This record gives sequence, structure tokens and C-alpha cells, in this order.
Amino acid sequence: MDNHAEELLPFYALDALTEEERELVEAYLAKHPEARAQVDEMRRAGSALPQSVSPVEPAPRTKAALMARIAADERARSSAQSQPSRRVNRYESFFRSFSLAAAALAIVWVVVLNVQVVRLRSEIAKLNSAFAAQSNSLNQIIQKLPQTTPSTTITVSLKGTKVEPNAQGQLIADPGSQSAVLVVTGLPPLEPGKTYQVWLIANAPVSAGLLTVDANGQGVLIITSQEAIGSFKSLGISVEPQGGSPQPTGDIVVLSDL
Amino acid sequence: MRSNDELTSSRLSDEVLVAQAARGNNAALEALYDRYASTVLGLTLKIVGDRAAAEDVLQETFWRVWKSADTYQPQRGSFTSWLFRIARNLAIDVYRRRNTRPQVIPDGDDAASVLEQTPDPNMDVAEQTQSAIKHKQVRSAMSSLSSVQKQVIEMAYFYGMTRQEIAEATGEALGTIHTRARLALQKLKEELERQKFEG
Repeated sequence: MDNHAEELLPFYALDALTEEERELVEAYLAKHPEARAQVDEMRRAGSALPQSVSPVEPAPRTKAALMARIAADERARSSAQSQPSRRVNRYESFFRSFSLAAAALAIVWVVVLNVQVVRLRSEIAKLNSAFAAQSNSLNQIIQKLPQTTPSTTITVSLKGTKVEPNAQGQLIADPGSQSAVLVVTGLPPLEPGKTYQVWLIANAPVSAGLLTVDANGQGVLIITSQEAIGSFKSLGISVEPQGGSPQPTGDIVVLSDL
Repeated sequence: MRSNDELTSSRLSDEVLVAQAARGNNAALEALYDRYASTVLGLTLKIVGDRAAAEDVLQETFWRVWKSADTYQPQRGSFTSWLFRIARNLAIDVYRRRNTRPQVIPDGDDAASVLEQTPDPNMDVAEQTQSAIKHKQVRSAMSSLSSVQKQVIEMAYFYGMTRQEIAEATGEALGTIHTRARLALQKLKEELERQKFEG
């Protein structure tokens, strides 16, 4: 058995074993720690293999889509972090009012009003800060978008199907161009191994990319098509296995005419 | 938050950048993308054989890095090993789902003309030079392998083929495949060490 495990070591280092074989090698390595160094050396050599391939310059839209996805994720994180602090402020406000009421009703009114003013100022400062952050993120996305002429840009409203009736969105595009921005809300985050896939439909559906939504059900996708956006009749979003499918196979969650 | 230019020009290590990305610094993630996106796309394109799908895998790879940067442990290996492993596994999943043979993209000068390579404008000169040196070192090390040794480790690494699948595809005995893989990795390791390759 040990001989067999030793034969498997190079393929273990290359991550090219079946699950059963991998378990066998890991059991062998647990019994023979001296073999671990040998595997680590082979693994280091194997990890250089990607650099034997010629590098290929990615399309700018790939980076733009990634950074837009990350900006949406950051917004969701900051939104989630700000919720507990608002709860604390309410408790503090209530406690302060209650304590002071026991001392003197007149003073309570003064203090409560002061607290209200401070809290409102604090809320305004937070909203200003959030608004500035949103504007900054939006500007970053806009700067990375292909240039379009504002006068020809249209916005199409999108609606969820019976599967996801709360889903809605907007497609912002110049019908004569080959790119558009899709903004969707109300789609629940999917279980691991699943993804939303966007389809542009003329006669047959053509994949327009994979859409990731944040914890709030919001997602942004920059679409680049080989045909003019105006040549498509409708837009759909389906649930597909991770990585997407050549054709829609899962539930259709959004479908609207363009 | 520091700008992407500051992050790249100051030549922060990969490990520092990934730690900053784990704390939510998107400029650090962008710097890592600028540093490695072209290598990752070369890898994913070789595996999936389709440019659009390879770019999707590239985006998904760096999204995974962003979401799980806090799980990266430097003591378990270099950042590039971790990054390339994520990219390779995602690309092999796509390749297997399509259930088609990979489209072989030639490397070297032919590939350069096929794929219209251009220097990455976001990568600074030092990074471009370092990247070019690393690619040259690994290619040189690979050229020291015999064609059959190279074939075995490429089938295993790039296409995730099992030992049995490689034996079947090449018409060789399983024992021969084992020997070739072991010798290939040994030779590759020695050549990379001789060239003082730093992953």
C-alpha cells in the first residue's frame, strides 16, 4: 500500500488525483512525515507551471466588472456594519430620557430635545458620508464604462418572473452600441455552486455574463455584446450551475422585453 | 485608502497586499490583479480554450481572492501558488462541464501573434521585467524536459487528467506514466533551483 501511495505523490503534488487516491496519500503522509518535504518540493515545481504559458492581456471590461462587483460588495459590508450602531443610539437615547425624567420633567424636555438634535446631526453626518461613498463608487463605475452619448442612452425597466416576483432592475444602454449596464435588486443570494446568468435574446439566448448579487440582493453587471444592444428583443436572467451554461437550464428569475 | 499607483510603485509584497485586501482594501486587490491577471488569463485560456470563458474564470478567480483573502496562510505556500490553484481549479471545472477537448493554444512566438499580446499598461516596468524573467526561467526549465515528460505533467496539471486517463490517452503503461511524472517534477525542480527561480 505504501509503494502505491509513493507512486501517487507526483500526481498529488500536481493536484491530479481522484478523491479516493488523495485520501490514501494523505493517510500515508500522516504516517510518514519525512515524505512531506518531498511532496512540498514537487508541489513548488508544479506551481511554476502556469508561468510556462504565455501571459495574455485581459480585456479592460474584465477588470471593470470585477471592480464594480467589489464596490457593490463594499457597499453591502458598510451597510451591514452601520445597522448595529443605529440600534445603540436608540437605546442610549431612550435610557437618557428615562433617567432624566425621574429627576425633573422640565429638564427632561430640554435634554431630550438636545439629544434629538445631536442624534439628528449625527444621522445627517452619516448620511452625508454614505452619500459621498456611494457617489464615489458610482463615479468609479461610470469612469470605467465605455463612453456613450447621453442623448441616445435609454433605460429599460426589468421585472422578476413568478419565481422571483420581488426582483426588478434597469438596463441602461445606447441601443446602437454593444455595451450596457445592468442593475438588479431583489434577487436572493444563491447557494454555493449556483450563479445567476444574464441572457440577451434575439432569436436564441446569448450569454451576456454572470451576475453576482450581494447580501442585499443587489447586483451590477457591465454587459458587452458582439451585436448592438438594440438588436435584441428581450433580456432574461436564469439560475445556472457555477461558471454558467451555454444555454439557459435553470429557473428564469427575470424576463422583460427591451 | 492608498491609491493603486502607490501600492504598485512601492513594490509591496504579495503577502502584504493580500493582507490589506483581507481588511477590505480594494486598491490592494487591484494591485494584485494588475500584477498577475495576464498570467492567470494565459493559464485559464490554455485550459478552457475559449477567450470569453477564460476571462470569466479570471474575474471569478480574483473575486474568490477578494472574498477569501483572510483564509490565505503564507506559511502554507506562496500567494501565487494559492492564486494559480484557484484559477486552475475553476478553469478545469469549466472545461469538464463543457465536456470537450481543450483547444491547444500554442505557446511562445506563435501564441504571441495569435493572442495579440501587449504589455499590461497597469503593470509598472519593474513588474513587467520581473514577470518576463520568471516566464523565461520556467520555459527554459520546461525545455529541459523530454517531450514525453512534459506531456505527462501538462496533461495532469493543465487538464486535471488522472494517471489512468493519461495512460489511456498516450497508450503507455501506468508504471511508465508514474516514472515520467516523478522524473519530470524532479528535473523541473532542479532546473528552477539552478536558475534561482523565485515563485
